[in-house]
Amino acid sequence: MTTAGGLGDEMTVAVALTVNGMRREMRIPVTHTLLDLLRARLGLTGTKESCLEGCCGACTVLLDNRPVMSCLVLGASVDGHDVVTIEGVAPKDGLHPLQQAFLTHAAAQCGYCTSGMILSAKALLDRTPAPSDQEIRRALHGNLCRCTGYNAIIEAVKHAARLMRERPAATSQYPAESHR
Amino acid sequence: MRAVGQSLPRLDGFSRVTGRLVYGSDIAVPGMLHGVVVRSVHPHARILQIDTRETAGMSGVVAVLTANDVPARRFGGMVKDETVFAVDRVRFAGQPVAAVAAISREIAEEAARRIEVRYDPLPAVEDPLVALRDDAPLVHEDWASLAAHPNVQRRGNVCGMATIVRGDPERAFREADEVYEDRFTTASVHQAYLEPRAALAQWDGGDRLTVHANTQLPFAIQEALAEILDIPAGRIRVVVTGIGGGFGGKLRLGVEHIAALLARRAGRPVRVVLDMAGEFWAGSPRHPAIITLRTAVRRDGTIVAKTADAVLDAGAFSGASPVLPSVATLVLAGPYRIPHLHIEVRAVYTHKQNFGSYRAPTGPQCAFASESQMDMIARRIGLDPFEFRLRNILRDGDEGPTGQPLRGVALETALRRAAAAIGWGARSAPGRGKGIACGWWTTTAGPSGVYVKMHPDGSVTLATGCAEIGTGALTGAAQVLADELALDPRDITITSADTLTTPYDYGAQGSRSTFNVGNACRRAGAELRRQLVAVAAEMLEANASDLELQDGYVAVRGVPARRVSYADVSQTALGRGGGLLASGTYVAPPTPYDAGCVSGHFYPAFHSPSFHAHAAEVEVDSETGHVRILRYVVAQDVGLAINPLLIRGQIEGGVVQGVGQALFEQLPYEGGQPQAHSFSDYPLPRIEDAPPVESILLESPSTAGPHGARGVGEPPVIEPPAAVANALEDAAGVRVTSLPITEEKIFRALGGRPTV
Repeated sequence: MTTAGGLGDEMTVAVALTVNGMRREMRIPVTHTLLDLLRARLGLTGTKESCLEGCCGACTVLLDNRPVMSCLVLGASVDGHDVVTIEGVAPKDGLHPLQQAFLTHAAAQCGYCTSGMILSAKALLDRTPAPSDQEIRRALHGNLCRCTGYNAIIEAVKHAARLMRERPAATSQYPAESHR
Repeated sequence: MRAVGQSLPRLDGFSRVTGRLVYGSDIAVPGMLHGVVVRSVHPHARILQIDTRETAGMSGVVAVLTANDVPARRFGGMVKDETVFAVDRVRFAGQPVAAVAAISREIAEEAARRIEVRYDPLPAVEDPLVALRDDAPLVHEDWASLAAHPNVQRRGNVCGMATIVRGDPERAFREADEVYEDRFTTASVHQAYLEPRAALAQWDGGDRLTVHANTQLPFAIQEALAEILDIPAGRIRVVVTGIGGGFGGKLRLGVEHIAALLARRAGRPVRVVLDMAGEFWAGSPRHPAIITLRTAVRRDGTIVAKTADAVLDAGAFSGASPVLPSVATLVLAGPYRIPHLHIEVRAVYTHKQNFGSYRAPTGPQCAFASESQMDMIARRIGLDPFEFRLRNILRDGDEGPTGQPLRGVALETALRRAAAAIGWGARSAPGRGKGIACGWWTTTAGPSGVYVKMHPDGSVTLATGCAEIGTGALTGAAQVLADELALDPRDITITSADTLTTPYDYGAQGSRSTFNVGNACRRAGAELRRQLVAVAAEMLEANASDLELQDGYVAVRGVPARRVSYADVSQTALGRGGGLLASGTYVAPPTPYDAGCVSGHFYPAFHSPSFHAHAAEVEVDSETGHVRILRYVVAQDVGLAINPLLIRGQIEGGVVQGVGQALFEQLPYEGGQPQAHSFSDYPLPRIEDAPPVESILLESPSTAGPHGARGVGEPPVIEPPAAVANALEDAAGVRVTSLPITEEKIFRALGGRPTV
């Protein structure tokens, strides 16, 4: 992958993807993960870097509407795909119901797991509008939280589900179709 | 409406749910280099040679440092036993021996791998009981010549010792009806915050340094950096970033000094973000402990005497260890009336990483021993464990174990409420059982200062030197300030933890933030209110004593139409005297105690102590030894619940951390090497491990806290291991005296044999 001269001359690859509704094109080192692409290249630091081995879920984003741990996804492999990060969750002026419910239930303490939690929960609620506690636990199994003890998070997800059923419009990820 | 007592969402919540909060590992500046630490692979070895030639010649590498390149200074909290990099010998696997700064993290990591260190391995002391022997190798052979605080009792590998001796324990044991001796051991557990320690260091004009770091104690870091870098503290600015979890693991220097030294050498900003291996190899996880308790009781269930001999594994450097034996003695004595005590706790050097302050340091280990033994004794003498506790607990007007007078002790209420909520006395289904445990803890004192100013629009800024580690403690402090000024708390903007621009604060530690910052807010708020009313009195042509504050207005009492808005007063004040600006400082009054009964103490009494009781119902799978926690109850005296929502968050989170410590978390060592390197081999409680938690908030006011509040944050993590161990015995008839209470231990205790 690298030339003998050192690490500065890495092989790169072109990728074109949609991030939070906006088309982005760039060349990235072939070794970079989707997490590197988002944080280092696009400055989207709301996606958190923690264990770098797929254990903690802090780097969870949506890839074609499915939650993935971005530290385990090679950047080159997302060419042509659609990515949503925490920065793309809220409607233009306000908060997504999940974000609102995380505030109301104090489900964010240090906040480092929160982006990943919200995206895992969003993937669940987008498919399962009225999840059981068990379904919530299963959907958030991969997301570690060291602060809250999880109960507030479960309550927040249930509350958000109610809000989204009552006001489906509030769930639109990003406002402007024109970005695409 | 009064803000104190309201379950308000945290004021800084927006940035936390939108991903906008900038954490230590997010912050970046142009031209920034990336620093990586090279660590010892041996627990104890002589360094023969460090060859950095290949690294120094690599393209993209800007600075390489070893002990030869940094000021030869020893630093440390109570004992100056640390150096930035190992000098001549390494004392634990994971100790920094060199560091590299390069234009990318990848290059820095590769450069670090290419630094060749040749070692001559030496025998390592892993077991603290071995380290205590007279013939044990000394971890610091020059211990006697190290600078140290005069109160530290130390000798050889003992780097701190504290005792409580009251009454005549020897005689009490001779005359007692029954004497029980039990031994307990606990493994180390890691804070396992999701964000590793991180720091960005920038030198400005050569002799002034700014460090952004995810630290809990910016002022302590500033002081430590001054000592290490040999420059005046006033030239160092430490700014706290967002902190992705701390729990005591971000109190002491993490990587701030290494970033600063690399940046000085490189002449460019340097950011160091640890990897998880660095966290597990060289963090400050909880002390492993070996605790022997002897307790003498009368046949009627009255405890007459207790001795404790506890050994805390300090690791290779003293860190917080000289201070913590004192804290341990108070937990080991327990929240009980015991006339005769001999409690002794020693912290001992070994060739391991520095064990330190994890949330309620020494609390869970000592409470596991003490509260497990309470149940064991109750069963031996045929008393109900709940009744046995009720016969011995501290009550209003009692003295604590070191003679501190106690007022407003709500422990009996806590026990009764927890027992009622778990259904104590009603038999559980087969395979299920209930356990109870109780305890007490401190509200750490130390100075807090705030600045408060009113803007021309009538809103307020609160500037505090206390960091917000995620608990929401500063929202609680702002609620206290809001009431002083009759403001909506949402009209208060908090700026926090910058050593250059905010007043000194003892820091986000020890369950102290809301309590002490809140008290400073009361004083600053009172002063700002005085200024506000004085200017309004001129504007309204009224006596200041006739004015009152009402929802953003200053009004004449009884004549609500005669009023001026805060905005108008604030703008007028700008022209007349330069504006509304106040400060407030607070130091908790000292807690009296009997100095004659303690030695080696840094913490002879618990300030504004909180009392609490926990109860758990568990189900045990006798085939596998798996424990499921069905329900968990916490009854905790919080003095006054400033923000019940956020307090429940502390309780629920603390319980789940405590459950992890009870059942499966551990950071074992083998051959001097830590056996966990990442979250993949350090199991953490996941969402399915979290039991439902019922939080019962009791309000028995303290005399010193804002509106009677007591410290809240640490206590919830203290009792879970004991409560779970006690419930396990009720459910399955087995008693496990070592933490964690793994499935394997339960399986073996049940008489099972591995089939593999």
